[in-house]
Amino acid sequence: MSIETATETAPAPKRGMSILFGLTLLGLLLFLWVLLGLSTNSFWTANNISNLLRQGAMTAILAVGQTFVIITAGIDLSVGAVVGFTSVTIAWLLTHGVPLWPAMFLTLLVGVLIGAFHAFGIVRMGLPAFIITLATLTSLRGIGLLITNGSTISISNDAFTDFSRADFLGIPSLFWMVLVVAIPAYIFLHLSRWGRYLFAVGSNSEAARLSGVNVNRTIYLAYILSSTCAAFVGILLASRIGIGNATQAEGWELQAIASSVIGGTSLFGAVGSVHGPLLGAFILATINNGANLLNVNSFWQRIITGALIIVIVYFDQLRRRGSR
Amino acid sequence: MTGLYDVSHRHEHGAVPGHPVAKGQPILELRGLQKKYGAVEALKPADVTFLSGEIHAIVGENGAGKSTLIKLLTGVIRRTAGEVFWCGQPVQLATPTEAISRGINAVHQEVVLCAHLSVAANMFLGDEMNRNGLMRKRAMTDAAQAVLDDLGFNLPAAALLSNLTIGQQQLVATARAAMRGTQFLIFDEPTAYLTRQESAQLFRLIRRLQAEGVTIVYISHRMEEVFELADRVSVLRDGTHVGTRLIGETNDAELIAMMINRTIEQIYHKETLPIGETIIETRGLTGPGFKDVSLSVRAGEIVGLYGLIGAGRSEFALGLYGRQPVTSGEIYWQGEKVAIRNERVAMDLGIALAPESRRDQGLCLNLPIGTNINLPVFDRLSNGLIVNRRREIENADRQINDLKIKTPTRRVLASAMSGGNQQKIVIGKWLSHGARLFIFDEPTVGVDVGTKAEIYRLFARLLEQGAGIILISSYLPEVYELSDQLHVFREGRLVASHDHRGASHEDVLTQAIGA
Repeated sequence: MSIETATETAPAPKRGMSILFGLTLLGLLLFLWVLLGLSTNSFWTANNISNLLRQGAMTAILAVGQTFVIITAGIDLSVGAVVGFTSVTIAWLLTHGVPLWPAMFLTLLVGVLIGAFHAFGIVRMGLPAFIITLATLTSLRGIGLLITNGSTISISNDAFTDFSRADFLGIPSLFWMVLVVAIPAYIFLHLSRWGRYLFAVGSNSEAARLSGVNVNRTIYLAYILSSTCAAFVGILLASRIGIGNATQAEGWELQAIASSVIGGTSLFGAVGSVHGPLLGAFILATINNGANLLNVNSFWQRIITGALIIVIVYFDQLRRRGSR
Repeated sequence: MTGLYDVSHRHEHGAVPGHPVAKGQPILELRGLQKKYGAVEALKPADVTFLSGEIHAIVGENGAGKSTLIKLLTGVIRRTAGEVFWCGQPVQLATPTEAISRGINAVHQEVVLCAHLSVAANMFLGDEMNRNGLMRKRAMTDAAQAVLDDLGFNLPAAALLSNLTIGQQQLVATARAAMRGTQFLIFDEPTAYLTRQESAQLFRLIRRLQAEGVTIVYISHRMEEVFELADRVSVLRDGTHVGTRLIGETNDAELIAMMINRTIEQIYHKETLPIGETIIETRGLTGPGFKDVSLSVRAGEIVGLYGLIGAGRSEFALGLYGRQPVTSGEIYWQGEKVAIRNERVAMDLGIALAPESRRDQGLCLNLPIGTNINLPVFDRLSNGLIVNRRREIENADRQINDLKIKTPTRRVLASAMSGGNQQKIVIGKWLSHGARLFIFDEPTVGVDVGTKAEIYRLFARLLEQGAGIILISSYLPEVYELSDQLHVFREGRLVASHDHRGASHEDVLTQAIGA
């Protein structure tokens, strides 16, 4: 006899709580900015702010892609390697005479294919997401190094490399790229039915399947979006540093996962948003930036980041338990 | 030191209580023992006395409260009210550790051991032989082998548990309990997965334990086992202890009559509607877990599928719905032969499935009620890819109102709802989608009587609109009273069919059990 425990408390509506959590994160970010503004002279300078926005932009885009995957109760460990690999891809294409726009298109297509391969491994081969993306994490770096023979490819296309240094309306163009990703991502995740399906698959894939949701297609979609976001970041990175190198973006997958988790995404799936990981990414960027300005040993930055993950996720857990 | 085998390392654990109770005297007494989950009474106040050295059978239908009783006795759940006396002393039985330390053990229907450890390691799990903090692996394997050999089980102690059949694993679990100073051993439907030969081995072991003075509680569906083994038998029905009989003073018919409730017939709301054309027909349908099933459902009728858990009814439903592959046989939908390759094909034809387990198959528990209700129909609620928020809200709220789902808003998570309301959410999904054939698999498990009646009235409404219903239930009164046609499943096959009330409860139960 299996009787579910009948706890008919009146839990707070979910959406309201998620807005509250978003505001808390925003408050934390503003608090950090005020704090740094008071304790350093250089924080609120135009130079530093645009530097901060550039730093945070790439992690933010990765984190949004990662969030799609985590919402389906998966994980994508490969995004850092995809960034490095696609920086090589675009550099190679540009140095081999492919015009800029087709080169960018082909690089994004590489991202699509990598994501499709991940989903293939999960759906058809039955591999855990952790394993298949761990495998591509190491293999992609290897392939990238093979292509460049272990060296870097310099990009001599000035139009391409100037882009990352340019501003638009006084805001770094890299930050505009966050909006280019985030706005469609928001529409997709929160307003479209595919977004609903991502949550449903992450919550209970069997129930979703029995309700007519194409679970396999949803998983393909999540991993393709994540890898494509990573390929996009690969293009931006190549533009920013002017080279393609497969060893770049080491550890960015963990930055992306951390941003997503700080932004309220649950690693158990079915909980997450687009604004959360964006805030998470800029909170991490602010901590790094502030620590540099305050001359805090860079080793401490890592410790602070780790502690912050524990504290924020712990409070988020308390909140969830309270609302059950 | 009691139990069959003295494995001689128990001194670490302090004294296992001795055996102060003479054979035939009360060893465990339950007085007004009660368990409630929220408002649902899983076990109504029960008075049962277990006598030292007896084999005491407990029988009852699914959901009668047998599992609740076992969980209370083994400390897995805590009682809501009542008292328990062990050897004359009041005890709490608040944790599994406490129950085990008093000598109360259980062998469960589903084996709860570690599949990746060896047989010997499982038998000693949590109670390993140590020397200087290191495990004495060979000594344990030898000791376990000696026990297994002595019991005549013919099992290698060094083998991995996962390499054994379920039946063999059950024997290991029994040997494990026998080895551990057990005074009171509960068997929960132990023969459900055993072959005839394994059952015979198990019975020999049970008799031997009894001869050693161990008190046995034996829970089973199978009447012949009860009459073969038990000294006394207690009957549970709908969470009530109906009575206890000496085995020599009762018979099949009396026990079955006690098991089946005849007083709540009034909640089964049955209207006789004109039967329409055939909606679906299967011919010799075969797939994983079911074999050669031929039946049909017509508009306006309820087709009941009765059988024990594991009889193949849910598997048949999943096959019909395209979730499980069908290996042979044919399905005709409104006269036309169809191949239902996946769930989407089934839904598009007009089949809806409210699956057996709300928790595992029915609901996305950590999503809002509204999302759950709309899940099958988001394609209809969208303009292109974008969900029309107004229609999404309207549809969810309409189902919540129509079905009287008790929630302040559609944004509450499904996990916060009671069993009955969760079932209504599952039903709401399919009402908003619409269908001609509704398959309800165990729709009233864990649902209170009031909600049950609401669900039955809903069936009538669907039938009036020209739908057909397949009702799968392990609760005989429900399928018996509601079905226009009642099919009985046993071991994956359709073994008998009856018209509405075309056979007695006793006959149907006998056919399902295969006595």
